[in-house]
Amino acid sequence: MMRKQTMFKTIVALCFGLSWASHCQAEGDSKQSKQSAGLWDTVSSWKLPDTVQIHGFASQSYIHTSGNEFFGHSTNMGSLDFTEMGLNGSWRPIPQLQTSMQVVYRRAGKTDNQNVRLDFGFLDYNIINNGDTLFGVRGGRVFNPYGLYNDTRDMPFTRPSIFLPQSIYFDVNRNFSLSGDGVQIYAEHRTNFGNFSLQINGIYPRTDDPELNLNILGNSSGYLTGDLSWMGRLSYETDNGKIKLSVTSAEINSHYKPLSVAANFCRDLPGTLCAGQFQFSPILFSARYIDGNWGLTGEYALRPTSFQNFGPSLPNISLTGESYYIQGHYRFAPQWEALLRYDVIYDNRDDRSGQKTAALTGYPAYTHFAKDITFGLRYDVTPWWMLRAEYHLINGVSWAPATENQDNTDQHWNMFAFSTSFRF
Amino acid sequence: MSLCLVVTVFQSVAAVEIAANPDVPMKQLTRNELQAIFTMRLRAWPNGLPVRVFVLPDNAPLHSEFVKEKLSIFPYVLRNYWDRMVFSGTGQFPIELSSVAEMRDRLADTPGSVGYLPAELIDQRVRALKVINP
Repeated sequence: MMRKQTMFKTIVALCFGLSWASHCQAEGDSKQSKQSAGLWDTVSSWKLPDTVQIHGFASQSYIHTSGNEFFGHSTNMGSLDFTEMGLNGSWRPIPQLQTSMQVVYRRAGKTDNQNVRLDFGFLDYNIINNGDTLFGVRGGRVFNPYGLYNDTRDMPFTRPSIFLPQSIYFDVNRNFSLSGDGVQIYAEHRTNFGNFSLQINGIYPRTDDPELNLNILGNSSGYLTGDLSWMGRLSYETDNGKIKLSVTSAEINSHYKPLSVAANFCRDLPGTLCAGQFQFSPILFSARYIDGNWGLTGEYALRPTSFQNFGPSLPNISLTGESYYIQGHYRFAPQWEALLRYDVIYDNRDDRSGQKTAALTGYPAYTHFAKDITFGLRYDVTPWWMLRAEYHLINGVSWAPATENQDNTDQHWNMFAFSTSFRF
Repeated sequence: MSLCLVVTVFQSVAAVEIAANPDVPMKQLTRNELQAIFTMRLRAWPNGLPVRVFVLPDNAPLHSEFVKEKLSIFPYVLRNYWDRMVFSGTGQFPIELSSVAEMRDRLADTPGSVGYLPAELIDQRVRALKVINP
């Protein structure tokens, strides 16, 4: 709690700092042109350095589902509960050093706490930087180097569709997936046959997603806290950008601490969890091919998870989930892009049909997988205004938010989404 | 009239060249250096002077020609590189200028700046940089 408050104060201080600085520049410029004297001379000497950049985005979506809620009450009349707004600032006082931050406000039904949060904020120091090699270190809240889309998943314009492939980029756990607090070491090397890059994170993961807590802890009272975790990504890209290959590996650790009262009887009272550890150690293979106006993208993940020492209510268990998608895009006119994707997730690769798990848990088999065919359309009205529409045909509810769908779920459902996004 | 015609014809066949402020301590660039500069990864020249990258809007014909011919990629792919750097906090955008004339003036005035110009607009105020294969 203390940490959250301090973090919030820092964000507010930084936001005000940046907006005040840009205000000064705007005032300075307008007054300079009028050449007025006095106080404004002092103000106009206060020019924002040209190594400061401030950008932002805002996006509003409409979501309608035929069954199962997704980001608000999406059945019936549909939901407008998916809103994203971000402010991005960077400053490079000397070429070797850059400080960057992104503050985001997000609403996403019950899956998000709907607050302002720091998605990343770090110092980046280049130790080596020349035409062939880049090597440096970042410290603070750093993004997780995971697959092709995670680094900028909060920015609507950089996503291939309104919703990323949910088998790999769970939107319901986006804070946990997006970034962590710690250090990142990075290196890039350009050779005659392509560019290699590597990022390695040592971080404490963010565990504040309501959906993550519900999925891991059920309705137990207590806290889930991130422990020291590792993530690394090695990528290869041809210098014309046509082919990109990468492999990501991670070991994400966290532990649960029950409220002190509950700790006393967690071994006796069914449904109560003892202090335990949750580990997530995915390996992800990614490939992308772009040729002019069309491209093919695919990713495949194995997702081992383990629950240890949670007591009799949740026996020690390790299982491996499996996810993959294949996606094609085609820019059929200068401002238009079409997308087709097939996306699959299995909660347990040893039980893809979900029937064995269903016999154990009592939840229907189709809650343990999801197969999603997506048709998407993007129209860039201007460089700063984008419209998107997409239609999903879905079998299974593995990634439908548990926070919004407690009991009755539909196996076969479809989702229509429309979004309008702005940037500056 | 005939002069205009000549100029128009000349412009349409003129090649796009990489151009820099004369302070930039380079006469030529390797392909790797060129890629590193325009994907916004190179932050300083070998003498420590900060790199300032100037570009024209994505839909400007000269920008399109430069990106396709010199970088061998599409403008929308380059835009995607920049977006990914800025919105992951790992880089900054180039400075976008509105016209070729502004590009020439800013290149002449800004130490450490690099951009591109039609070959016939390169005069003694800016320096053309050749690309060599390493």
